[in-house]
Amino acid sequence: MHQFNRTLARITAMIGGLVLIAIVVLTTLSIIGRSLNKFMHSDVATSTLGGFAQWVIDLGVGEINGSYELLEAGVAFSIFAFFPICQLYNAHATVDVFTSGLSPRALRVLRAFWEVVLSITILFISWRLYEGMQRYVGNGETTLFLQMPVWWSYAASFAAACVACVTAIYCAVMRVTEAATGRRYLPEA
Amino acid sequence: MSTLLDLLPFADMSRLELGFWSFAVLLGLIFLRAPIGLAMLLCGFGGWYFAMNGNPTPLLSKLKSETYTTFSSYSLSIIPLFLLMGQFATLSGMSTSLFKAAESFLGHRRGGVAMAAVGACAGFGAICGSSLATAATMGKVALPELRRYGYSGGFSTATLAAGGTLGILIPPSVILVIYAIITEQNIAKLFLAAFIPGILAALGYILTISIYVRLFPGSAGTRPAVPMAERWKALGNTWPVLAIFGLVVGGIYAGWFTPTEGSAIGAAGTGLVAWMSGNLKWPAFKESLLGTGKTTAMIFFIVLGAGFYNGFLALSGVPQYLADYVLELGLSPWMVLAIILTFYLIFGCVMDSLSMILLTVPIFFPVISAMDFGMSAEHVAIWFGILVLIVVEVGLITPPVGMNLFIINAMDRETRITETYKAVMFFVGSDIVRVIILVAFPAITLFLIP
Repeated sequence: MHQFNRTLARITAMIGGLVLIAIVVLTTLSIIGRSLNKFMHSDVATSTLGGFAQWVIDLGVGEINGSYELLEAGVAFSIFAFFPICQLYNAHATVDVFTSGLSPRALRVLRAFWEVVLSITILFISWRLYEGMQRYVGNGETTLFLQMPVWWSYAASFAAACVACVTAIYCAVMRVTEAATGRRYLPEA
Repeated sequence: MSTLLDLLPFADMSRLELGFWSFAVLLGLIFLRAPIGLAMLLCGFGGWYFAMNGNPTPLLSKLKSETYTTFSSYSLSIIPLFLLMGQFATLSGMSTSLFKAAESFLGHRRGGVAMAAVGACAGFGAICGSSLATAATMGKVALPELRRYGYSGGFSTATLAAGGTLGILIPPSVILVIYAIITEQNIAKLFLAAFIPGILAALGYILTISIYVRLFPGSAGTRPAVPMAERWKALGNTWPVLAIFGLVVGGIYAGWFTPTEGSAIGAAGTGLVAWMSGNLKWPAFKESLLGTGKTTAMIFFIVLGAGFYNGFLALSGVPQYLADYVLELGLSPWMVLAIILTFYLIFGCVMDSLSMILLTVPIFFPVISAMDFGMSAEHVAIWFGILVLIVVEVGLITPPVGMNLFIINAMDRETRITETYKAVMFFVGSDIVRVIILVAFPAITLFLIP
């Protein structure tokens, strides 16, 4: 159970991270292509390199078509994919000073309470994301450059949000159990 | 339709009253240890619900797209990319070469190793947009060296905690990106404006160190000087830092690419250096992705909550009301600025800088914009941004909850946190002096800005 949830969250975050790496590579290549293309069109290049400059341009060296769209869709997916690990490792920002005087027991109850509220909120957000996706399914709306159906990127994000929901429910149950038994189950940041 | 929520007193309030009360509720939730993003989100939900007279439909339909559009925002995607760049930078070995170079030039002076640590932090800040990462990375490299040369525990940890704040002051800077987005300012210009204050900060810390070692001569040891040839060689080894910084910040400023593209190039550059240094093996690579992920989700949850809450707040009219009210009071603009900056200094002792910026800039910025400082609106926005950045960063090194202090102190088991607290007050003092100078002479921040 613990092992399953930990592995699920880590693998999801890894996929999100690899998508981020892919975006970095794609964007970098796109900029290199765009700069090369601009350079080969410049006066210096046409006069000194002549045919070679034209050859490079004819190869199709330039900005990667639709890299902006892929970046936006990819980053949205990555962020959703990062939510499970953030919640599992208790990495959400809090202000602890004013509650540091509480007894360990009271603090556990308080943490369990917020964990439940957080989890309900994540479920709520995911449900609205699903409804948001439904508006685009089958309405034929596509992105400008790649002609990619808009709902695809919603669907990718929703898939990651589903994992976030599983982790959220797990965390809520575990924090409540921690509050009830006084034992430790979840990892700390 | 009547629900349980309508029994709350908020149901009968005007929007303005609602706005003010929501702020009190929000602070209450945050102080009760609610995750900050969650607290903002809940107050945003509640605010929209009551402002629409208990009709949940506008809120529900807003939620259909707002999460996705926030997370897929082109300008915000600079944040995970800068975080990734910082993660790779910590693995690149550049922290070591920066420290070696700075140490070979400064190490033989009184307090020189500590000065070198500050200098290396400044250099590392040029490729890393996060203070915590800068403090943690430089701490690992410089703390053992400081202790080896007989620097006292509290002085060493305080130096590194303060040096860490240079990570966010010297561009690239994640917080500055957020400020630019909230206030709709040009990121490139803000980066440029942060440059001189960042250098000033490093010089101020070096001056603080030299005063400290004269007040407490026992707090620092000495070491022999390094031959000149070796110094230049050590400096030469830091070239990747300069190359990446020049390419990213220079390229953004020159308009070769957008800030988001610049952050992707920065991540690729530091990743490449880390890979060539041999540190980027699979386990380290995995940890840097997971580390990026945790911080990214944490930040975006707050950004999402702040988006909802600030949307409601704007609807309630509170920021406009406050701006008008302060204007009517007839206070001098400098007085208002002083009050706001003091507020940040105090609040920074208990709250993290990102949440504070997201929570307060939408309220304070209209107030400051309404004031007449004798400068163009853009200059005021940039100048205010740099000042806010500095004062919230002071919060990272002020007791009781300065995160940098904890991170560095945890690395040195022999030093008690109270010793760090004592020594760090000198650096806080240097920060406050710098803020006063930058307030008094806006030109220091703005002379590079056309």
